[in-house]
Amino acid sequence: MADDIVFELLHSEIINYALHDPKGSKDGTVQEADLSIVEYIGFAAGYKIMERLTREWPRFKDELDTMKFICTDFWTCIYRKQIDNLRTNHQGVYVLHDNAFRFLTNFSNGQQYLEYAPRFVAYTCGLIRGGLANLCISSIVTAEVQSMPSCKFHIQVQRT
Amino acid sequence: MAVCVAVIGKDNAPLYIGGVANDTNTDNELSRQWLVHTALDALEERLAATNTNNTNNANAARADLRELYLGLLYSTDTHKIYGYVTNTRIKLVLVTSSISLTGSNIRDAEVRTALRRLHALYADAICNPFHLPGDQITSPKFDKQVKNLILNNI
Repeated sequence: MADDIVFELLHSEIINYALHDPKGSKDGTVQEADLSIVEYIGFAAGYKIMERLTREWPRFKDELDTMKFICTDFWTCIYRKQIDNLRTNHQGVYVLHDNAFRFLTNFSNGQQYLEYAPRFVAYTCGLIRGGLANLCISSIVTAEVQSMPSCKFHIQVQRT
Repeated sequence: MAVCVAVIGKDNAPLYIGGVANDTNTDNELSRQWLVHTALDALEERLAATNTNNTNNANAARADLRELYLGLLYSTDTHKIYGYVTNTRIKLVLVTSSISLTGSNIRDAEVRTALRRLHALYADAICNPFHLPGDQITSPKFDKQVKNLILNNI
């Protein structure tokens, strides 16, 4: 679909832009990629999407119910597919497993671009965190890519 | 006849309180705020009930309580206060006068649709990229749309 490709291209350009250092790292050291901006953009987007998405939805029963919503409707809305696997230890840690994460499907399935993978998951981490934040669940979201198109998102809910 | 609507944030701070008639009158503004805030306790009570009922009560009651629209929260001699809480814990409050102009009672379904519309307007308003979460809604467009809603619907 046309609108999917627009989102995908814009996303990759945002990452390019965020990594581009205007001052230029002249000392030759490979700078640590600053992905916090990308993550924040995702957060803001997730926060706003959530308000629209939950409009027709009954009130959530509990945290697990909310996570299921993230895995099904939220994911479908953004990536046109559902999360393939959801695991939890029932103590605030959730692992969302996507076997073919869309931002990674265009790359080689081998080891070639594995080191660049973190750049392409930062936005989505923010997206999840923002969505949850709007539902009054504060969390830390990290992602892990072991083999190329599949990706795991770890959600750790902060309890006070 | 609706008197005023309010949008209350997650931490019970008002994000928007708007109404029609005598807009510049400060007395009106104060009584509006007071009316909206009287309902907040009742609103919290309903929400708490929702949470406890989920674990032990009958299914029929649960289905009802899981709806976003909470119905009549509180009524005073002159006003009736209706509530609506979104999944994101934004509280929408609608105040109507007890007796409508035509003398007939306000129907529940009307209030429900009005609040749903208000929710849609709110969702649009926060999608403004310059609006930060938790800030008051100052958008004149939102204000205009809400006043339109009050005048045309209830």
